[in-house]
Amino acid sequence: MITFQFLDWLWIVLFVALMIFFGIYFYRMGKRSQSDFFLAGRGLPWWLPASSVYATHTATDTPIWVAGVVYKYGFAGLWYAFFSAWCAISAFVSTRIFRRSLAYSQAEWQSLRFGGLGAELLRGWLAGWQVFMNMFILGWVGIAMGKLCQMIFGWELWMGLFIFTTLGAIYVLSSGYWGVVMADFQQGVIALLIIVIVSIWGVVAAGGPDEIIAKLGSYNSSVEWEVPNEWKDQQAMIRVSDVETGKPIAINSESFAIASSISKDAQSKLESRATTLIKSKETHAGEILFPTNVNKLQAGEKYTIVWASDDSYNRVNIDASVDSGISWSRVASHHFNGQSWRLNFFSFTGMFEGQFPVAWFVTMMIIALIGGFGMGTSIDWYPEAQRIQSAKTVRDASYSIWAGSALVLIRNSIWAAAIIGFFVLYPGIAKSGEYEMAWYRIGFEFLPVGLVGFLFAGILAIHLSTVSTHLNLGALYATRDFYHHYVNPKASEAMLVKVGRIATFVLLLGSFVFGVIIGEEITAWLIFALWIMAAGVWLPNILQVIWWRFNSWGYLSAWIANLGLSWLIVWILPRFGVIPALPDYLQFWILIVLNAMIYLPVTFFSKPEDMDHLVAYYVMSRPIGFWGPVRKEAEKQGLIATT
Amino acid sequence: MSFIRREWTSADADDWHKEDWLAIIFSTISYITLVIGTALSFLTITIGFVVLAIGIVSAGIMMWIIDPKLKKISNEYEKKQKDYLRQLEDIQRWEVEK
Repeated sequence: MITFQFLDWLWIVLFVALMIFFGIYFYRMGKRSQSDFFLAGRGLPWWLPASSVYATHTATDTPIWVAGVVYKYGFAGLWYAFFSAWCAISAFVSTRIFRRSLAYSQAEWQSLRFGGLGAELLRGWLAGWQVFMNMFILGWVGIAMGKLCQMIFGWELWMGLFIFTTLGAIYVLSSGYWGVVMADFQQGVIALLIIVIVSIWGVVAAGGPDEIIAKLGSYNSSVEWEVPNEWKDQQAMIRVSDVETGKPIAINSESFAIASSISKDAQSKLESRATTLIKSKETHAGEILFPTNVNKLQAGEKYTIVWASDDSYNRVNIDASVDSGISWSRVASHHFNGQSWRLNFFSFTGMFEGQFPVAWFVTMMIIALIGGFGMGTSIDWYPEAQRIQSAKTVRDASYSIWAGSALVLIRNSIWAAAIIGFFVLYPGIAKSGEYEMAWYRIGFEFLPVGLVGFLFAGILAIHLSTVSTHLNLGALYATRDFYHHYVNPKASEAMLVKVGRIATFVLLLGSFVFGVIIGEEITAWLIFALWIMAAGVWLPNILQVIWWRFNSWGYLSAWIANLGLSWLIVWILPRFGVIPALPDYLQFWILIVLNAMIYLPVTFFSKPEDMDHLVAYYVMSRPIGFWGPVRKEAEKQGLIATT
Repeated sequence: MSFIRREWTSADADDWHKEDWLAIIFSTISYITLVIGTALSFLTITIGFVVLAIGIVSAGIMMWIIDPKLKKISNEYEKKQKDYLRQLEDIQRWEVEK
């Protein structure tokens, strides 16, 4: 628990007052029309939606996620967070096309791109999906705030979720997107400031840049290991061998014990021991430093295996045995020797082997960059779509998306430098739940009195910017795509704003339910939602933009097939031993192929969209890609100049 | 005519040209180098400053290439936007057949 002083509380009170002020000040603008409540009247200069993109995608769980991958994989871990790079291409392709469509939401765009019953089904489906997703996202960022408040104040998990999500709801209910985007701007500034301050403090606490590099060069080698549950009450050994020759480099001279349980105190001493030994210079090549015969480990727990660094080897395999070395099971393959590899962005462990294979990197680059040709290839597209439409021109929309995402990527790098500093201070942490809190620990352990309160105000800014966006975005889909389009098409502007407010309130309540359901399992849910649930529709999301022949039935079938296939490939089939547990990049490609086997026949066996509908869409949006027949028809009708 | 086109007619600006592809390439280079350059510069590693500079210059070139085209597209499109918005609301309220 952390104790706040007067100055710390002052920062927090000032920040909360500022947020409430935004709600009151922009109340009048938000209530003017549906366009004001959800798009700030489509009149924003590029830097306002840009700051909103950046602030929205800086949530309380983001430093947890970035710290987790950078602590484990070094700077190469930043490629895990590179998915925002879809904006490198999107800013000049799908952003431009979407802004020209003028659709309020991605669901509405479906009914402009496709026609007839298929389009209406898609619009309804996407609207429902987005209301659910926004509630779900609110739940997981809310519970991440709950975890933080538990760490800082010792509160119950639900208290942080309830208090601070409600605070965000106050100004969203009052002023809609105007409040969101204006608050996002100042929240973005505060968040960036505190990220830079804490990260500088982290680097300094680790001894400064030169010291960090020197220490990584001198530290012993280490790798994470989860002791198998079935190894309890046995004696085990560790072996480290050279990848090239297969020759053992280090091996336990005597075995160590694995117990079914050990005390918490003993557990914490083991972690400290691993940390000390990674830092130790009094070692000799060929030694396994941890665990040794004096250590007793617990089955099912995670530990850091430590061995003396030896410059004669680059990459090693690490194995463990419980039958005195007769048979070995693999702990890690193609792992780097020493710790300097953590500063290398391209520390590949092989083409397909180890924790950072080239195949994974290539997959991530394709997903991140090529996804920019499509709409909805990333979960972040949906809030971005709202920001694109709130920009006053096509040019402003393009620059806002490019600059907002550039800031997100730069922010990740600033965090990463601090996490490398944290690793130098605490290199022996094996439990992901502990090292994922690295950036917050730097802030709360090393910042002086007064600045700790500013850090918490920054955390509030990070949290509120995300919460407010998803409250307003979920309400947009509920109001525009459900209520207005299907329930009451003749609704007045005042009525639509009123329904927007009611939808915001319902989303708030729903988020509490989801937050409590998600509880402590944030990371597992996050990976499933961000990565796997989107894999099968990644290519259809591009095809709908670049290929005229792709129709609503093909797209709808891709969505339905993906929902079933992703559960099968990721969880159900591996669980029953039908297929092995596959690496995530392989799951992605399998889902791409399996889905294509469903939506491509559906597309070709169903009729193309009505040509007049496609021509109207083409003339308005001018999409990129394979639109030859539609363009010819548009030229024939004299709607665009002949080339 | 120079390799990079700086003057656009409204009809041409609406189509896709090599300038769009060049902007995409420089945008991608910029993102990758900003990620690497910022992290390494934060640890005052010399190559980090060089990579960061490449990222900033790439962003500048990207804007120099694409800005005239984006300006033209925006100016032309704003003239038609009012009509398009009216059509959009008609579809939303089921007042026209889509």
